[in-house]
Amino acid sequence: MLEVLEPGLLSTVQDAGRPGSTDLGVPISGACDPWSLAVANALAGADLGAPAVEMTIVGSTFRVLDAGRLALAGADLGGWVRETGRRLLPGRIHVVEEGSTLEFPGPADPRSGSRAYVGLPGGVAIPSVLGSASTCLVGRFGGLAGRPLEPGDRLGGSGGGGPSGLSEMRTDAVWAVPGDPAPGWDPSRRPIRVVAGPHLDRIGAEVLEALLAARWTVADGSDRVGLRLRGPDLVGAAAGAVRDSWPELPSHGVTWGTIQVPPDGAPIVLLVDHQTTGGYPVVAVAVGADRPRLGQLRPGSTVRFEQTDLATARAALLRQRATLLAGVAALEDPAGPWDDLWRSAGG
Amino acid sequence: MSPPKVRCEPFGDDALIVTLVGEDGDVIDVELNRRVHLLAGSLLRLRDADPRLGRPVAGFSTVLVPYDPLEMDAADAGALVAPLAGAAAAADLPAADDPARTVTISVHYGGPDGPDLMEVAAATGLRPADVVEIHAGPTYRVFMLGFAPGFAYLGPLPEELAVPRRATPRERVPAGSVAIAGRQTAVYPFATPGGWRLIGRTDRRMWDIERASPSMLRPGDTVRFEPVRGASRGASRDPFVG
Repeated sequence: MLEVLEPGLLSTVQDAGRPGSTDLGVPISGACDPWSLAVANALAGADLGAPAVEMTIVGSTFRVLDAGRLALAGADLGGWVRETGRRLLPGRIHVVEEGSTLEFPGPADPRSGSRAYVGLPGGVAIPSVLGSASTCLVGRFGGLAGRPLEPGDRLGGSGGGGPSGLSEMRTDAVWAVPGDPAPGWDPSRRPIRVVAGPHLDRIGAEVLEALLAARWTVADGSDRVGLRLRGPDLVGAAAGAVRDSWPELPSHGVTWGTIQVPPDGAPIVLLVDHQTTGGYPVVAVAVGADRPRLGQLRPGSTVRFEQTDLATARAALLRQRATLLAGVAALEDPAGPWDDLWRSAGG
Repeated sequence: MSPPKVRCEPFGDDALIVTLVGEDGDVIDVELNRRVHLLAGSLLRLRDADPRLGRPVAGFSTVLVPYDPLEMDAADAGALVAPLAGAAAAADLPAADDPARTVTISVHYGGPDGPDLMEVAAATGLRPADVVEIHAGPTYRVFMLGFAPGFAYLGPLPEELAVPRRATPRERVPAGSVAIAGRQTAVYPFATPGGWRLIGRTDRRMWDIERASPSMLRPGDTVRFEPVRGASRGASRDPFVG
């Protein structure tokens, strides 16, 4: 059981999201970096999509009310135990002592991502609302009364012993996946893959080319709703007639990863708290396999985009899933290749 | 009138978007939107049998259909969705709406509840009382929900009341505000930023997570507004809590 002493910048309870009420205007919510949510839960001994605490850049400070185990994944927010100075690194299980204080003052490395996940055994115990424990900030429901963590909040796990094969010997094991470093480590290191959007017939292929050619900077004002990008004017890249009269479309459903171009020419990449519908032309859509890295970008991060096709995108997602499940299987198997798995990644 | 054309295209790597293309292009078309809700309904029933499909999201003339990309690809999804889209485009629409799905919303027009009523009257050359009468006249359709949980885009608003959005949106619109913009009207379920013109306010809770069905309005419903005297309860207490 953890008690919140300081809330941090924006810490909320999030799970795999609430996709079942989008027709009522309810955002999907959920973890911005679903890979790291899954890793935190796997290490903590919870279902991969179970509720966890998502912390943003400057994390919360917790007091440990009873000794136990928790897991961290995602960005390294500089976590440490105040009393002992022990570091709390992501991708690891941590045994924490009663009465100790856990602090996450913010990333020491400027390349670091922005979001970290705290997993508890069995998942954070939070009732489900409309099929999910995720905090819906705009609707003020889900999570802890639909709001970020506040001092005095108490968070416990739903229980369960965790992965059967995880002995005390392995509580310092590192989750590191060969060839696929965690999204929380320098999310800008590779381009975000996109497929062409549905409105190129309205705005012209030049706009997509301009999106792919530029290096973008994530602007202030970016949040769980979306990333606002700073760079060249995409409306200015369009052919004359379109540029002079930028189309507004009848509102339509949009998805996580949708890249909209409003009339000011500065693209917006939608994240998990996005409105369910929008009317700006969609130039491209980021692929599912790269959503975890999108969720780790923060104001000041740079980002590039690279075009791919649907078959490649799907293959990447299937590979990512298989990698995740191999890691989970290794955790479940006491005689399994867990040590090899993390050693092969240089862990 | 010939049936609308159907376009079915990928929207990213885990959704399709079906667009019904009418004769008037992008104009908001009531018949097209009724077909959209027909399609969304048949996709919901298909989803009960095939959970690889996600919840359809209706737009004015589109339906977004998410699918699980670990379980199927865009071609598989298209093969499931296209026949239903073709059927919805060609179906005979019922002549009348289902009266059981008409929701009546009481509105306190003007004063502190509707701070833009006088401005709308001035812009349209109508008396404030006429604005109220015209707004409360028709039965509106829920074209779609979006923007925030329970926010329903209603229309068509009579042409005489069509005014543009405010140039600068308000940072905070009180919950329950009844608003107009272009040929549409809506009720803000939460205190949010908003650029529509506020002409009244209702005491009804458009969204209540404690209700079995939290949203007062659902896709495909119809809505009537009923003027009531006096100020709303909200106007006399915290203006931002619905």
